[in-house]
Amino acid sequence: MTVLTEPSSFDVQAVVDEVWTTFLGGEPLVPVAPDFDPAGTFPGSRWDAAVTVSGAWHGLIVVSVNDAVAHAVTQAMLGLDDGDTAAHEDVVDALGELVNVIGGNIKSLMDGPSKLSLPLVAQAPIQAGGIVETCRLDLAWGSHRVWVTVGTRDEGGTS
Amino acid sequence: MKIVVVDDSRVMRQIVIRTLRQAGEGGHDIVEAENGREALDAVETHSPDLVLSDWNMPEMSGIDLLDALRSRGNAVPFGFVTSEGSDDMRARAASSGASFLIAKPFTPEAFADAIATVKVA
Repeated sequence: MTVLTEPSSFDVQAVVDEVWTTFLGGEPLVPVAPDFDPAGTFPGSRWDAAVTVSGAWHGLIVVSVNDAVAHAVTQAMLGLDDGDTAAHEDVVDALGELVNVIGGNIKSLMDGPSKLSLPLVAQAPIQAGGIVETCRLDLAWGSHRVWVTVGTRDEGGTS
Repeated sequence: MKIVVVDDSRVMRQIVIRTLRQAGEGGHDIVEAENGREALDAVETHSPDLVLSDWNMPEMSGIDLLDALRSRGNAVPFGFVTSEGSDDMRARAASSGASFLIAKPFTPEAFADAIATVKVA
């Protein structure tokens, strides 16, 4: 039996594609070459939404977008008209739900039992101690960028 | 039908209600609740025909809500709408008395199929 220690980029991409297409419709997400240094300046006003998985597998799933994408995602999920502006609490809610569904589906790929946290949303980078990035998707949504990263608990160099 | 929709996310409650309409289930009375504890009160107050509940919520989770309803002798048809659709969770939901579990992301067809099982029963 194969025991997965981290989800593959292929599987994460499939999950993100399905969630994005189902909830947001319209433009698909297209993989693009990495175009910013995670340690550098984020291109635009940053929103991070994250969930953690703890148990048989320990992981951190983060969706990062800029302010324009955050509001566009919220408008699409709430079915708002183009002229309507999403409230701040709705943006927090929408991004949290988006990462919650992505994280829940990634959790289902891994060995259990494990527990999914409630989502955390911040207008700043979200990181967790002891977690190393094991998968990063750089995606284009029309003219916008979306980043999804999956981190796995560092088990002291074992793989 | 009267349906209680339980999710701590207002956005997700709106998506569930919109998907019900897309599934041809748009004529129902909908009562919204933000967590299991609110839903427990809503079920007692409104005597719904169906509860559609998220699993992972603050205050009271969906599985705790279901267990609380059954321990009170309430047999209202209950379905989960949750981001986690593992075999373990489906088995746990069924053993507590859930009629179905719809995994997010979902389609209108998934809702129509699930609700049809409740109507037949």
